[in-house]
Amino acid sequence: METGNLILCVITAMILDISALVLILSTYFEKLDGKKRWKKIGNDMELVEPGITYALESDEVLIGRHGSVDIRLPDLSVSRYHAIMTVCNGIWTIQALNPKAPILVNGQRISKTKLKEYDVIQIGTYKLQIRKRRRQNGNNNR
Amino acid sequence: METTTGKVKYVFSAIFVLISHLAMLTNMFYNGNCDPSNMNKFVILAITVIGLDILYFIAMLFFKQSTYTIDFMLIFILNISLIFQSSFGGISLSVKHLVTCIASLISCRLGFILCRNHKWIQAKKKAFYIATGIIMLCILTLTGSRSMWIDLGFFTIQPSEFLKPAFILVCTTYILEQQNKISVWKFNIVPENLICTGFIILICGLQWWCRDLGSLPTFVAIYLCGLCARLCYPKAKLSKKMIITGIASLAVLAITAIILAPPYVKSRLFVDIWNDTSGDGYQQSQALIAIANGGWFGKGAGNGDLHNIFAYETDLVFASICEEWGLFFAIMVVCAILIMLASPLVNPPRSYFHATLATGVCSAFVVQMALNIFGSCNMIPFTGVTVPFISQGGSSMVTCGFMMGMLIAGQSPVFKNPTNNKKKKVKSK
Repeated sequence: METGNLILCVITAMILDISALVLILSTYFEKLDGKKRWKKIGNDMELVEPGITYALESDEVLIGRHGSVDIRLPDLSVSRYHAIMTVCNGIWTIQALNPKAPILVNGQRISKTKLKEYDVIQIGTYKLQIRKRRRQNGNNNR
Repeated sequence: METTTGKVKYVFSAIFVLISHLAMLTNMFYNGNCDPSNMNKFVILAITVIGLDILYFIAMLFFKQSTYTIDFMLIFILNISLIFQSSFGGISLSVKHLVTCIASLISCRLGFILCRNHKWIQAKKKAFYIATGIIMLCILTLTGSRSMWIDLGFFTIQPSEFLKPAFILVCTTYILEQQNKISVWKFNIVPENLICTGFIILICGLQWWCRDLGSLPTFVAIYLCGLCARLCYPKAKLSKKMIITGIASLAVLAITAIILAPPYVKSRLFVDIWNDTSGDGYQQSQALIAIANGGWFGKGAGNGDLHNIFAYETDLVFASICEEWGLFFAIMVVCAILIMLASPLVNPPRSYFHATLATGVCSAFVVQMALNIFGSCNMIPFTGVTVPFISQGGSSMVTCGFMMGMLIAGQSPVFKNPTNNKKKKVKSK
């Protein structure tokens, strides 16, 4: 291959590399936008226990005692897979996964219900409140 | 495309995709087999490539999505593949590949529309079981050990390709489904997992009967990744016993499969291609010679000799690219596909359904690419599997496009309850 042709090949390859890099960067910027979008979809809510804040960062949030759940409440009063929270049309819903393990929302036993801001969810001995996300003020975030 | 910064990044992406295609065309013009007599063909190819780019960018404006990077990557790869396919054995626009590229883009949109609302698609799970069953029945009755294609006169279709997206949808799941367990003897079993396992057993049997063993690893990979996604959710720890049992059972299955394999498969497994260059090792030996001839930057577009070998544009596409464009460009295209598949790692899906969907799609693509490329390089036996988006073939392109649509759906999901039109009508009355 002649030198000129070789240089052209190298330049083409470099342009392809740069294009791929631009597309990777674009994915990264989309990730930043995605976080803002999720706040909108999830209505920017979080679960709060005194001293601890749990972010609601996906469509399905599993709550229980098992080490593999999203929100772990390590107490024998909590079932291994106790409840699941889902979001739809910006509204969070909580559903019991085990009929033997109750969930109380504002003191009432439920199997599935829609949640409003400042509702208190009681799972075992834990009391969690759902509220709009606030600026971090030294609390532990999980 | 909501914010101004959002628009800017997409404008940059579009410009760079266009520039990269123009650079490839320039390279083709100066380094390729582009005589004055071929000029018309080259101009037609250049106009088609740039036209397809611009038309797709315009079409993207009509689809409201959260992310567009996979779309840009898709058109980036598809047009590169169109340039490659139009250069093999002489520069001329590959009309067949252009049509399949357009079909692939359309099926990508369909896949996106179908899968973006996971609440809706979860409710239709039974329909996917039926669809998969129908495709399997078609394979059983209309194809078989003689041929893998259905001849429709003006074109042929390969039903086993359509089984891939259908099986990925069967393998998807969501957490509530995983919590629905039934007690059988001493075990708590999830019925949905049993159905999934039943399907893979049936598919393995079917592929074995049809002698389409090349695509069998793809289905097994989809199933295993689906299974891992189920076992590992969310961040579950797998015990050493479980891992050892899993690896041991896989090894036993592989050894059994090799022992029970038909004679032609066994001969391919242990063939020395350099002692049999005119028999079983013909394609692979020619492919390796072509890769060696191509070097880093190839012999130039349209200057290759591999187009005289059967399946140079499908099964041997990696070697064809290496020969005419060089190993560097071939590796770059593979990397571009891998980057496209890796986008869910950067921008992870927000639902478990879309996560399992993305796992299935990525595993199918990676295994398919590995089978083709390693087969071309004589690292594994030749399987006859295509490289997604690069190899020619209508069924493969359409299904790959559809699967990519599924991946885009995971990036731009809808979290809304499906609207029930019947209820609305009743209320209005």
